[in-house]
Amino acid sequence: MAHLLQVGAGSGGMPVLDMLCRDPKIGRVTLIEPDVYKPHNVERHLFPLSAVGEPKAELARCWLLERRPDLVVDLLPCDLCDPAHQDAIDVAAAGCDIGVCAADNEPAKYHWDALMRRHAKAWTLGEVLSGGIGGFVHWFVPGGPCYGCVASHLKRSVKVENEPSPDYSQPGGPVRETTIPASKASIQTIASLHALITLALLDDPARYSPGFTSMLLTLQRVPEVFDEAFRPYRFRVPRAADCLICQARPTPSSVEELDVALDQALARLEDA
Amino acid sequence: MSLLDSEAGKRRLLSVEIPVIERYNEGRDPAFQIRLSRLGGTLVLRYCLKPGHNIYQLETRLVSSYPTVPPETRVLTALKHCPHLLEGQTLCLWRQGSTRAGSRWDPARFTCIFAVQAAWRWLACYEVWHETGEWPLPEAK
Repeated sequence: MAHLLQVGAGSGGMPVLDMLCRDPKIGRVTLIEPDVYKPHNVERHLFPLSAVGEPKAELARCWLLERRPDLVVDLLPCDLCDPAHQDAIDVAAAGCDIGVCAADNEPAKYHWDALMRRHAKAWTLGEVLSGGIGGFVHWFVPGGPCYGCVASHLKRSVKVENEPSPDYSQPGGPVRETTIPASKASIQTIASLHALITLALLDDPARYSPGFTSMLLTLQRVPEVFDEAFRPYRFRVPRAADCLICQARPTPSSVEELDVALDQALARLEDA
Repeated sequence: MSLLDSEAGKRRLLSVEIPVIERYNEGRDPAFQIRLSRLGGTLVLRYCLKPGHNIYQLETRLVSSYPTVPPETRVLTALKHCPHLLEGQTLCLWRQGSTRAGSRWDPARFTCIFAVQAAWRWLACYEVWHETGEWPLPEAK
């Protein structure tokens, strides 16, 4: 049975985790989730109001074991990017069979991508668009495009929001884009797609070939963004030859040599 | 990734950022070359730009989570307040936002020199705005 490593058990991550762990292919889960369950989570989450104040990781463990008592659940209640926990996260990544990213911020996605590439693991990512107008599911395998390749490609080829520019006369003011929540139904739809693709990828990561590397499913018609609802867009994003994230460039092989070379390079360019 | 502390960050600096800085400096008047300094986990680029009539001193900070978080550039030379200038004379170069679609910064394609070039373009706009009252880039309005 497979070992799943997942980051994130929020409103999008928890339904994916739930659906994956109901499948007998999964025998062990390691969950990275530092947050506490808050009142505003209740509307879109699986857990009840009475669970407010409890760590999401513990709530997830209870939820899973009530449905799969045979499941082994390990928790890492820490921030994915916290330097103090990288050793434990590395150990979990080295031992997993597949990764699932349900992080909601870009630095965490890049960090996860680097972790998965370092350990040569296949992984998937689900993203619900602001307002629940649709969502992406991406899958990644060793040697394929990295998250940087995919993000860069989609940034140029797909329009997924139609918001006015920020108010530059009010620097530091609130950013509107983060204030439009998705509905539970939208989140669940993308989570189901995410779980399906993850289970299919787990069957045979080396030969998985559904005809896309990223899928966008529209859930609403939005003028000037999506012409119609419930329309899938399939993207076959290649690994970018000039990607600054994943393309290897010659550097010293040992850490000691790397430090020396970097110190020398910085010394050449340092302030006099 | 921590830029100056992690292996991945050091490899990014050595294989991507430092070569492009050295290429930028090559043949350039020493007064306009980029100089580096370390500030905790942050790498600071200090340089001068002359987009038109005036010379401006600037610094661009590659914070510890660079390149996933965009560089921050501020002008050290005193500027007249304008709408595209954030607190501490930090330039509004990348649309402020937390999502992939909401940010103009692309860590897979951009280096710190892109930030320097963006600062040059911002300053050129500033000089036009200073004379005419109009910011010449419609997409920034």
